[in-house]
Amino acid sequence: MNFNLALFKVDHLSNFVGIFIVFFSLLIIFYSLGFMNQKKRLVQYYSYVILTLLASLGAVFSNHLILFTVFWGFLGLLLYLLIGFGERNRTSYTGKKAFIIIGGTDALMILGLALVWKLSGSFEMDKVSIALNSKLAIAAYLCLAAGALAKAGAMPFHTWVPDMAEDAPVPVTSLLPASLDKLLGIYFLARITLDMFQMSALMNTVLMFLGSFTIMAGVMMALVQHDLKKLLGYHAVSQVGYMILGIGTGNPVGIAGGLFHMLNNAIYKSCLFLSGGSVEKVAGTTDLNKLGGLVRAMPMTFLSFLIASLAISGVPPFNGFASKWMIYQGIIETAKSGGWLWIVWLVAAMFGSALTLASFMKLIHTVFLGQPSQEVKSQGDKIHEAGLPMLIPTVVLAGLCVVFGVFARELPLKIFIIPSLKQAVAFFGIWNASLSTVLIVIGILAGCLIYFLGLAAKSRRTDSFVGGEDLKDFPDMRLSGTEFYSTIEELGILKYIYRLAERKAFDIYEVGAKIVFGFNQWLRYLHHGVLPTYLAWCLLGMGILFYILLIR
Amino acid sequence: MNPASQLIPLFVVIPLSGAFLIALMGKKLKWLPDFTGTFLTLVLFILSLVAIKPTDLYHTLVYSVGAWKPPIGISLVQDGLTVLMLVVVNLVVFCIALYSINYMERFTSKWKFYTLFFLMLAGMNGVIVTGDLFNLYVFLEIASVASFALVAFGTERHELEAAFKYAVMSSVGSLFVLLGIAMLYGYTGTLNMADMSVVLVHKGEGKLIAMISVFFIMGFGLKAALVPFHSWLPDAHPSAPAPISAMLSGVLIKALGVYTLCRIFFNVIGITPAILSVFMFMGALSMVVGVFLAIGQWDMKRLLAYHSISQIGYVILGIGLGTPLGILGGLFHLFNHSVFKSLLFLNSGAVEYSTGTRDLQEMGGLSQKMPVTSGTSLIASMSIAGVPPFNGFWSKLLIIIAAVQAGRYGYAFWAVLASILTLASFMKVMKYAFYGSLREKWASVIEVPVFMKLAMVILAFFCVAGGLLLVPSVQGVFLQQAQAVLVEGLQYGSRALGVIGSG
Repeated sequence: MNFNLALFKVDHLSNFVGIFIVFFSLLIIFYSLGFMNQKKRLVQYYSYVILTLLASLGAVFSNHLILFTVFWGFLGLLLYLLIGFGERNRTSYTGKKAFIIIGGTDALMILGLALVWKLSGSFEMDKVSIALNSKLAIAAYLCLAAGALAKAGAMPFHTWVPDMAEDAPVPVTSLLPASLDKLLGIYFLARITLDMFQMSALMNTVLMFLGSFTIMAGVMMALVQHDLKKLLGYHAVSQVGYMILGIGTGNPVGIAGGLFHMLNNAIYKSCLFLSGGSVEKVAGTTDLNKLGGLVRAMPMTFLSFLIASLAISGVPPFNGFASKWMIYQGIIETAKSGGWLWIVWLVAAMFGSALTLASFMKLIHTVFLGQPSQEVKSQGDKIHEAGLPMLIPTVVLAGLCVVFGVFARELPLKIFIIPSLKQAVAFFGIWNASLSTVLIVIGILAGCLIYFLGLAAKSRRTDSFVGGEDLKDFPDMRLSGTEFYSTIEELGILKYIYRLAERKAFDIYEVGAKIVFGFNQWLRYLHHGVLPTYLAWCLLGMGILFYILLIR
Repeated sequence: MNPASQLIPLFVVIPLSGAFLIALMGKKLKWLPDFTGTFLTLVLFILSLVAIKPTDLYHTLVYSVGAWKPPIGISLVQDGLTVLMLVVVNLVVFCIALYSINYMERFTSKWKFYTLFFLMLAGMNGVIVTGDLFNLYVFLEIASVASFALVAFGTERHELEAAFKYAVMSSVGSLFVLLGIAMLYGYTGTLNMADMSVVLVHKGEGKLIAMISVFFIMGFGLKAALVPFHSWLPDAHPSAPAPISAMLSGVLIKALGVYTLCRIFFNVIGITPAILSVFMFMGALSMVVGVFLAIGQWDMKRLLAYHSISQIGYVILGIGLGTPLGILGGLFHLFNHSVFKSLLFLNSGAVEYSTGTRDLQEMGGLSQKMPVTSGTSLIASMSIAGVPPFNGFWSKLLIIIAAVQAGRYGYAFWAVLASILTLASFMKVMKYAFYGSLREKWASVIEVPVFMKLAMVILAFFCVAGGLLLVPSVQGVFLQQAQAVLVEGLQYGSRALGVIGSG
């Protein structure tokens, strides 16, 4: 095999992803200075983070599929090692699960690249162009896409993300599943979808189905979570759906929207995880039942969290809206080719967005607003804003959410996204970000004016009570937001689905494990250690060999 | 005769004389077994490196024992495949000898251990260098009998039982090998492998050859632990002391099984598509059955033993593809597997040495107390699971690409599936043995002594750097030399005889 080929290549897409890989890594290293102090094995931690940065850059800029796989697979190992820094008891289980899913799909990618080589005779990404018209080509595409989807955390390979969000240290979660792995996974999905394969309508539909399904399932799971980090983890899954949906539309607006959403998601999702980490660091827990009323102590963190929540929910004028808008446009564009499925995708995307907003309302209420919990009260003055190394990255990211939203056309789209595509992007519909921002700001100001003029203050303030009893004597009886949506858990068929999900019936890892151990039991039954049986096998084997080589 | 060929008999002579020396004086001189063990294996390793001849792709050396000309006398032949196997065997054996210095302190009679150890080594090296079929059988038996005794070395109940099973099954295999050799001798009138291959080319194929093939596949397949002839291995390999487990899984099944299968079928009898498909099928079957059995084990060494079956499956699958790329992948995987599997067995031995248990459920959190063991174990696990950039990744990559290239998509898929399950089961090992929280009863556990650490670190180095063997210039020196021998097939005979004629 000849290895002396064009190993690396820089183009607009890889350039854009590369720049943000460096940006996020640096921010998170800075954040770690605050978060990880007083922890053990710091030298190892920082060297793994820096290796992650280098390996990601290597993967993004490599043009040779084998080289790419080497970097990509090594990232899986680094993820595993980094999860090991978590301090919960379940950490080793989570790391194992994450690495089995990631490493397993990496093995599928090896099969995929071998098939690509068989079909096109080349390992160089820029020389490969395969039409999806044979079973082999489809198998090759699916194998490679499995690697990309697992890295990005899309269904059905998503189950490692929420577990990891709960158990791994926050900087690690926001470095890998929230930003770098998303960038890389979607980058590779875009690479194979746009450059290496010529997509068919069927495959686009498959992608769009995966995307919509991921959006809805992820957000439904997020609604009922009781842990701050795990809730964010399910949103990390749900948001991937938008990117896949965008890329699956196959038209320039949708693809640009998908890539833009990849970038935006990395920004607000890291911001959310990092603010969540500040809360954890300060309050010592991420259990929603034990949090509440943190807004007084941590105003800056609250503000960043709020901005990022609005961005992820697709509220204008923040960046999440800009990219979701483009994805909707892309979906509507597919309607031109006929069919009615686009309505399903569009409804899923919009409904997912609304549910995201709903779950973040719950989160913000429970963590920052509402009454402080016993745990928070008992810590009293100890709760204050996290240190500067932790605050600055959060605020910078929140600022970017605003800037990339308001100046979407002028900055990120113009500099990064549009050049990455080989086609021109035609927008339609009216969306003037700056003007609408001004309108929104005016609206908010008018609201504040009304509030402060006392026009709306005709309400009576009193301590909360239940059944006539003053709640001061019963500190646990407070209105936390944890149970906001517990009614949907009880709704008809949803109840059944949630139960199955609780039993991990949809977890590809658990299902796979059951099948494997079933086979294992059967084979172990055959290996009972009796020598005559073993000898009989040998004779049987010989008999079969005789049949094959002599008689047939 | 080429003066370099004078070195060939040393591979058998040195370990044999080591065995006699230790048997004679080891009981009196306490330092002698350790010293000879390490020193002689180091010498052998260096000799095997010297044997690498970079320039000539078909460099063949022949040594006639006692200056008797073949086909009457016994000849020792050294070509690319021999050199590859010699390097693999002697590298691993050197690390194991180093490791045994500390580890074997637990057992009473070190000198008996080293005597058997050297006998086994002499047998393996003999199988590899010999050019005579009956001589091959003799060395095969020397190595096997020594390994029976070593499996029973602990003399506990289950160890004796395992050794008994191993002895019975292995003898059945040897019996069929002997039968095959006798029939082949009757058919061709010669025992010299080179001569035999030339005669067979003239006489052509027949039912008799097919029957002999079945005997050889069964006999050597049993030594290589291919499914369905594998059932002795999961009992025998875990029962031996850890260094011996490493040697059995790391090199013995390859020298006695894989090497002999390759040599006889590719170079002597001649490979046919039917036999290649049998190889591929048995390879894939071993790969999958082995890994499915391994993943449910809680005994660390037993888990590793099942993985040996699975990994040998990869080697045989690669070689059985019959394409140059597949053969290269198979041979490379053979090298890699001996390195990482012996390392894994040494790791399990180190854990057993420090904690006294092999049960994964009883361990936990040992990485805090045993950083070298857990670090090298992580490297070896990643190698066997095929995670880049460790060596196992590269050979699996070659095998999978070769399978796809040959149009064997099904086998490629099974190889991928087995790879995923391998990863899963080694994640299990790492989780239960080394990560997680440390149990109270292991609070006073300490890292193993220096020689054990050194041996593990050397092997871990080869796991990390093993991929470099594929760099074109290095590949041409080492792996391609071995690949060429298998690819050229039956020309082996005339080439080896040609060397004798000119010499």
